Amino acid sequence: MPKVSMTVNGKRVSADVEGRTLLVQFLREHQRLTGTHVGCDTSQCGACVVHVDGKAIKACTTLALSCEGANVITIEGVANGTELHPMQAAFRTHHGLQCGFCTPGMIMAAIDMVNRLGTDLSEETIRHELEGNICRCTGYHNIVKAIQAGAAAMGGMKVAAE
Amino acid sequence: MAGTGIGARVERKEDFRFITGKGNYTDDINRPGQTHAFFLRSPHAHANIKKIDTAKAAAMPGVVGIFTGADIEADKVGGLICGWMIHSKDGTPMKAGAHPALAVGKVRYVGDHVAVVIAESLAEARDAAEAIAVDYEPLKPVVDLASATKKGSPAIHDAAPDNQVYDWHLGDEAAMKAAFKKAKHVTRIDLVNNRLIPNAMEPRAAIGDYNPGEEAFTLYTTSQNPHVARLVLSAFIGIAPEHKLRVIAPDVGGGFGSKIFIYAEETICVWAAKKVGRPVKWVADRTEEFLAIAHGRDHLTHAEMAIDENGRILGLHVKTRANLGAYLSTFASSVPTYLYVPLLSGQYNIPAIYGEVEAVYTNTAPVDAYRGAGRPEATFVIERLMEVAARELGMDPAAFRKKNFIKSFPHQTPVIMCYDTGDYNASLAKAMEIHDVKGFARRKRESAKAGKLRGLGYSAYIEACGIAPSAAVGSLGAGVGLWESA
Repeated sequence: MPKVSMTVNGKRVSADVEGRTLLVQFLREHQRLTGTHVGCDTSQCGACVVHVDGKAIKACTTLALSCEGANVITIEGVANGTELHPMQAAFRTHHGLQCGFCTPGMIMAAIDMVNRLGTDLSEETIRHELEGNICRCTGYHNIVKAIQAGAAAMGGMKVAAE
Repeated sequence: MAGTGIGARVERKEDFRFITGKGNYTDDINRPGQTHAFFLRSPHAHANIKKIDTAKAAAMPGVVGIFTGADIEADKVGGLICGWMIHSKDGTPMKAGAHPALAVGKVRYVGDHVAVVIAESLAEARDAAEAIAVDYEPLKPVVDLASATKKGSPAIHDAAPDNQVYDWHLGDEAAMKAAFKKAKHVTRIDLVNNRLIPNAMEPRAAIGDYNPGEEAFTLYTTSQNPHVARLVLSAFIGIAPEHKLRVIAPDVGGGFGSKIFIYAEETICVWAAKKVGRPVKWVADRTEEFLAIAHGRDHLTHAEMAIDENGRILGLHVKTRANLGAYLSTFASSVPTYLYVPLLSGQYNIPAIYGEVEAVYTNTAPVDAYRGAGRPEATFVIERLMEVAARELGMDPAAFRKKNFIKSFPHQTPVIMCYDTGDYNASLAKAMEIHDVKGFARRKRESAKAGKLRGLGYSAYIEACGIAPSAAVGSLGAGVGLWESA
């Protein structure tokens, strides 16, 4: 069985994986990081979004072996110790979640949005950029508000080192 | 907003674990020594099972056990139940076909559970399932709701030779007929309330665990009601006496009704845990959620409203055909009956109401309660009638509603419900103010200039949820749960 090594949330990890092992399985099963979720089998729902080498990707459609040597950040890695990332805090303040299942993917997609497009995001931009994330509970309004607020708050601090 | 007390804005207590990825959903839980289950499902909507050959699959790497309907029967595991008895107009009980946790003799919808493979890994379980040889004899399927009971349609269940589950009614037919005789105007509509698939973001999952020292089971399951699950699994399906079965619903990622019901997969997981002597874990993929989770709605309705010369509603006659799918799900029978017809009065003073519901089997996924369970269906019917009637009468839809609102409380409707209090004029007036109905004509003209269409619709509805008290629902046929103590 081939071996794969990568950095996950700042920690160097390795495991023997099958060729068909998905990144999301490597994270959830081998690394026991269950914050990244599987919500679909067509790559549409976004519950599995993580950052690989600074970019948001869908871990359900990425093979673990293709991430050899990569720098991976999951939802478990965005807080600064016990201090929540501003995007996480914004989701709580603005009631941007109900069941929480889509939330890690939303937060990861939102942070990536800010990394690419800056901290002053319009409602239109956010809604367009969220095409790859599905929520069945909230109706999206508070997610958009949370992302707008989280983005603005990120403007008040250094961009997180990735 | 107030800082403390009623009306204060408070943050939820549970969000911390969800925003940090430390939630505890069923698939996040792993039991030592657990095996993985994969269900082989029918590719046919309707077929006899001639033979299931599991020999090749059983020899494949990692396989711990393979079970079919024959194994369930041999262990005398009860079938999945529908917990609400409904009687037809002629007093006969609803025709409930057996619903074994793994198909026996026949499959009745695409996705029907035929066998379960339990293996060391999910990948090995899937691989072995592909090696199971099922010899199907395809039968003509019945999928069209409108023609499911026509003569010549194949019977999906022997218990219901014409595919009719029940032909039920509520209300006063004679009073309704008398009202229509006096009518100055009758509005008639035909409505389709299409089937919906719930699709909560978290797919269903279950982990069955058996402790041989205590002779007791634990089931982790994505359930909206673990108490009902424990009751049904013990008293009706017979997995274990209630005090030997613990059901844990950890964090659940959405349900909207679809995770109320007691499903084959969780039943098999808990039963199989004792059979194989190891925990058995199952997680649905999204395709399985489309195929085999309980679907919602699926009504065909013809509705008529009798109105007098002053625009006052005299009576209502609603005739609905409800698709219940291939098997009766846990609460399926109650959704188009007691959760539907009693809401047809809406906010209006309607002296005579008569509702008839024919429930039907088809070779489709079972249908049960979903997000409103019967009340959105009722609201659609009555509010659509109000809108169409207003246009036919040349009346403003808001004015037509105001004319017919219930104004004196308590108000006993002709369909069980008694409303204790309400001020429907006030809520309609407020809604019209917030939406600037006065300015609508101008906005419509401006939109037209920009090449766009603009519309305005109303829906004034009554929502009745939290079915209680237990004595009342018991008298209406409910036989599962809804008791005041868990």
